[in-house]
Amino acid sequence: MTVDESGPLAPPTPPAPLERSFDDRSLGKAVADNELEQIGVRPRLGTYFKEMWRYRPLVQVMAVSRAESENQNTYLGQLWSLISPIVNASVYVLIFGFLLKIGREGIDNTIAFIVVGVFMFRFFERSVMAGAHSLQKNMNLVRSVQFPRAVLPTAGVLAELTVLGPALVVMCVISYLSGFLPVAERVTVDWNWLLLPLAVLLTWVFSTGCAFISARLVAMTPDIDNLLPHVMRILMYASGVIFSVDRFVSQFSWGWLLEYQPVAVYLYLVRSSILNETAYPPDGFMWLLGAIWAVLFIVLGFLFFWAGEERYGRD
Amino acid sequence: MTDIEEEVDFEVDPEDLGDAPVVQVDSERLSLLVNDLHVSYRVFGARKVGHGPSRDWGLMGRLVRRGAKQPPIREVRAVRGITFAAKHGEAIGIIGVNGSGKSTLLRAIAGLIPPASGTVHVAGNPALLGVNAVLMKNLSGARNIMIGALALGLSRTEVKQRFDDIVDFAEIGEFVNLPMKSYSSGMGARLRFAISASAVPDILMIDEALSTGDAGFRAKSKAKMDEIRESAGTVFLVSHSLATIQSMCTRVLWIHEGKLVMDGDPEEVCGGYKKFVAERKRYARSTK
Repeated sequence: MTVDESGPLAPPTPPAPLERSFDDRSLGKAVADNELEQIGVRPRLGTYFKEMWRYRPLVQVMAVSRAESENQNTYLGQLWSLISPIVNASVYVLIFGFLLKIGREGIDNTIAFIVVGVFMFRFFERSVMAGAHSLQKNMNLVRSVQFPRAVLPTAGVLAELTVLGPALVVMCVISYLSGFLPVAERVTVDWNWLLLPLAVLLTWVFSTGCAFISARLVAMTPDIDNLLPHVMRILMYASGVIFSVDRFVSQFSWGWLLEYQPVAVYLYLVRSSILNETAYPPDGFMWLLGAIWAVLFIVLGFLFFWAGEERYGRD
Repeated sequence: MTDIEEEVDFEVDPEDLGDAPVVQVDSERLSLLVNDLHVSYRVFGARKVGHGPSRDWGLMGRLVRRGAKQPPIREVRAVRGITFAAKHGEAIGIIGVNGSGKSTLLRAIAGLIPPASGTVHVAGNPALLGVNAVLMKNLSGARNIMIGALALGLSRTEVKQRFDDIVDFAEIGEFVNLPMKSYSSGMGARLRFAISASAVPDILMIDEALSTGDAGFRAKSKAKMDEIRESAGTVFLVSHSLATIQSMCTRVLWIHEGKLVMDGDPEEVCGGYKKFVAERKRYARSTK
């Protein structure tokens, strides 16, 4: 019995590996004969775009599901997507509008100015972050099914857009009502309000482009995720979200850079649509610039994301 | 299968041959061609911190040395040169000890991890069914069915048509409207299987998903697998249960340390594997 218990001295080895590979000629023939397709390689741009178009029901379903599940674990649920930006804007109105003078310089209606800025910038910021986390959050799906990965950032931003819808109504109502306060100028409802959907559309297209870029950057280098909030913070102060930036930078020769960068342009467009700020009149050049930025970022962002397609979900 | 045995016998000394021997592709109704596949992936946080036996360097020494020895990212070579061809209608089992690269191989075949070198050619669309792949645990089963089936490439109307079938097959009943985090592991596994099988994929890969089902469900999933095979699909099955493999598969691959060591008839390969595992156990006991 004791003899049996003493095992072998060396660990057992499995049979020698089958070291083999197919020769190129017969492989090529077999691939052609059986109509096989190589996988694990990036699809061509045209094919990818067509696939993406075919998968738009998935984008919709994912966006709605995400928007729904966002505030699932709270008592107030979806109301939070309205409460949070209101509280956020109130804090800025209190600090920059009333405690510090900076929020009042060159602005007729500080409350409306800050509310519009905060609501719109929040959408942009959350879109970029949604893009950044879209691959990681859906890793289970990415690791089990093959579909164009560009669906994920697109759905993330679309989810933010569905949340923005009701928030926009609140934004308009607050802006209008704030005009009745003694400290602020009136906000009148005029034909320019009809331009708001167009301004939001351009912002959405631009944000989706940015989400593509952040998605790939974070997927390749997760460290960037830690830097993004700071980049967003800098962008917020550089875009005149809570105070009029052009008043401070017009003395510098590079001041126009801040004025014509995309985020500032979209804030300008939304403000010129629904507010009566004397410093923000409707401006055709800004609309043109907004359209150019949107097209540029969506095209570059899509190309940038597509170029990394085969590597997503690798680790 | 016979030519593979010839390959093994024919091989004089693998070390002496610079390159792997080249074989002809048996080109008849193939659904999958894997040629000299190598897969490696990045692991973050591989740097050794704290645990394990190591010399005590003192505080300063630790601060300075930490990370100097190992890079924060390590490349793991999970699959190291695997070649095989699969035919339509085959059910292929993959066996091997933990960490031998079975799951990685499946994910590479499904096109979810790009190969480091080598190629994978497939006919149609592969779908991978993993045991860990709870699709989205915060969403209801109904939403997961929508998302999963759409991601598999079904159209909206097709999903609606098959929705009830999927729910029935998964046997989740009322739970379909609850978030998936409230599901038992068996329910989750059944739902995933039902979703993956709903699209009737050309290649279905099952990664130990059946181990969580009960006997009734196992019989049902076997029937589903047979259905997929009959419609000219290929099924891959990774499992630690040799009984499952032998009852469901027509061919078995044995993977060891990222390499293919045996490929052939289930009886024969499982027998060899069983012997190997028993010997390993005996060795582990003797060294204790």
